[in-house]
Amino acid sequence: MKVPVYIGAESIVSSLGRSAASNYDQLCKGISGIALEPGIGWKESDVYLSRIRDLPAVGPFASLLSASLEELSAGWDQALLTSSDTQVIISSTKGELSDDLLNPFHAVIDGLINRFGLVHRPLLLSNACISGVLAINLAARMIGEGMCRHVVVLGADVISPFVLYGFQSLYAVSDVPCRPFDQDRKGVTLGDGCGRVVLSVEKNSFSETPALYLGGGDANDANHISGPSRTGEGLVRAVAKSLRNAGVDTQEIGCLNAHGTGTLYNDEMEAIAFNRLGLETIPLNSLKGYWGHTLGAAGLIETALCMQVLRNGIIPASIGFENPGTSKPLNVVIRPEELKKDIILKTASGFGGGNAALLITRS
Amino acid sequence: MIRKASCCRFTSEGIFVNGEKRFTLNHFEEELTEVYRQLSVEYPKFYKMDLMSKVSFLGVELLKGVDSELALHREDEEVGLLFANSESSSQTDLRFEESYTRDGLPSPSLFVYTLPNIAMGEIAIRNKWYGAHMFSVFPNFAAAYFADYGRLMLKDGAKRVVGGWVDVREQPDAAFFVLDSSLLENREEALQVLNQVYSNH
Amino acid sequence: MASAALKEQLKKQIIEQLNLEEVKVEDIEDSAPLFGEGGAGLDSIDALELIVLLEKHYQLNVTNPEEGKQVFYSIDTMADYIEKHKA
Repeated sequence: MKVPVYIGAESIVSSLGRSAASNYDQLCKGISGIALEPGIGWKESDVYLSRIRDLPAVGPFASLLSASLEELSAGWDQALLTSSDTQVIISSTKGELSDDLLNPFHAVIDGLINRFGLVHRPLLLSNACISGVLAINLAARMIGEGMCRHVVVLGADVISPFVLYGFQSLYAVSDVPCRPFDQDRKGVTLGDGCGRVVLSVEKNSFSETPALYLGGGDANDANHISGPSRTGEGLVRAVAKSLRNAGVDTQEIGCLNAHGTGTLYNDEMEAIAFNRLGLETIPLNSLKGYWGHTLGAAGLIETALCMQVLRNGIIPASIGFENPGTSKPLNVVIRPEELKKDIILKTASGFGGGNAALLITRS
Repeated sequence: MIRKASCCRFTSEGIFVNGEKRFTLNHFEEELTEVYRQLSVEYPKFYKMDLMSKVSFLGVELLKGVDSELALHREDEEVGLLFANSESSSQTDLRFEESYTRDGLPSPSLFVYTLPNIAMGEIAIRNKWYGAHMFSVFPNFAAAYFADYGRLMLKDGAKRVVGGWVDVREQPDAAFFVLDSSLLENREEALQVLNQVYSNH
Repeated sequence: MASAALKEQLKKQIIEQLNLEEVKVEDIEDSAPLFGEGGAGLDSIDALELIVLLEKHYQLNVTNPEEGKQVFYSIDTMADYIEKHKA
């Protein structure tokens, strides 16, 4: 990438609050937004979830995206939103599914175009749980190729009975708040989420100093549509690509923010992949013990949190972890610790065999 | 001279490969099984796939049949998958919803297909293609998506890109094609070729 | 122990529920492992569908995939489980 690509104006809307900074503060205090919801699951089972408060019953997905674009001015030159040099990318798995199963995306996107005067139709990426990281990587590549100068990347997903029952039918939902990488982990906790970052060639378009996007990549396991590869093939390739694109060596990385969903298989696969890559000593965390798994939003809110780590210099603990539970070792962060090197690696893995990774640093 | 792209098109009339009709489609889903058998592919996982994945699978198998360079790729990262549609995974979403609203229990084998990128996952598994992949949703066939993002994939290391448009809910409306750097070099020409691939039936 | 009729019915239900289109009732041996190479060659998603099948057709609740591993080992073990837990 010849031209530096800046990444900033991050925002996080989750069970823990509506700004990146407030979310970060609570994570550093070890506060989780996961709570038990009685009777919400299949056969009225009680389920631990991470819910955004006061979401409207109708149009929750649209309202999250709208609010995110409205609040853009807090972090970025909002006038640029209506520029022909600006593209919006939206990452989501199910969009406004509960309102309209047959058409969960188009009407919402039409609404955003009209409301905000967007010049180009927002690109909707729907790639399961890697959508968010994929979207950020795509944004950087578009800027690098001169297709546009700015990309606003949004990611959002809202819990629905459809998705909850689905994960329950897979026996993938934990009956306690999820415990990524822990020996007693039993599955995922689902969460509502909405995240945003902006990528731009113009450092001055940001209100606060942005971070620098270094590189990224994605790859497929080519193994199973819902189970991860036993050898972590796709994740190894995605991270290797990212390191190559960024010109970064594994030992320069100060923090590895993993996907860490809390299922037996995902976390084991990641441990294998990270060991194959020589990343087993890098301070590692998963953030899903705080917000649950927010699907299409995960890549955005978790990258946004990594940007907060770069700003503030402290890595939050990997909440839910007590005892190592993977066949290969990892350096799991058990209490907030100082970020010693200023490059952060973010990874994501998802249904369909997808894996994606990206690297950011201070600018 | 307009370049041609290897292409496979599914419409309510049938399946066309490089413009020639290979199969008739009257009763869509059942006939796909017949197409699968006629191709002698020996891939029993086909029967478990949802409609979107079955169409995608067959489309790419037929493409490999006419694009020898594509067929050479196996166990590598060099083929990118660039898919899109207007429906997302709604055809399967409906069936999954019915499994618990009407048939008594949410079905795990349907749930795993309630994401539009799974179709690409099935193709990656079949061919051991470890490369990049991306799924987008548009109101209509968007040639620019394939031309622009296909080009990005090629610049990022893919040697060729399999593009796919897959709508299956009402009529079959799908197109699969191979994108390479010579096709995508000239954007206007590429858009023409892609629109032709889509509309010529 | 369990009847041949139950085993045959089970095989038919499995073939239908799991979309095992190229498999016939005659192809499934009563005592052969259902999972892994050979036999019906079922995988992890199939295991979950078997849980659904038991609940739908026999009102039996295998509560987790671990328990399922023993119950679903073969047609014999499934049929025995059904016989044992029926009213």
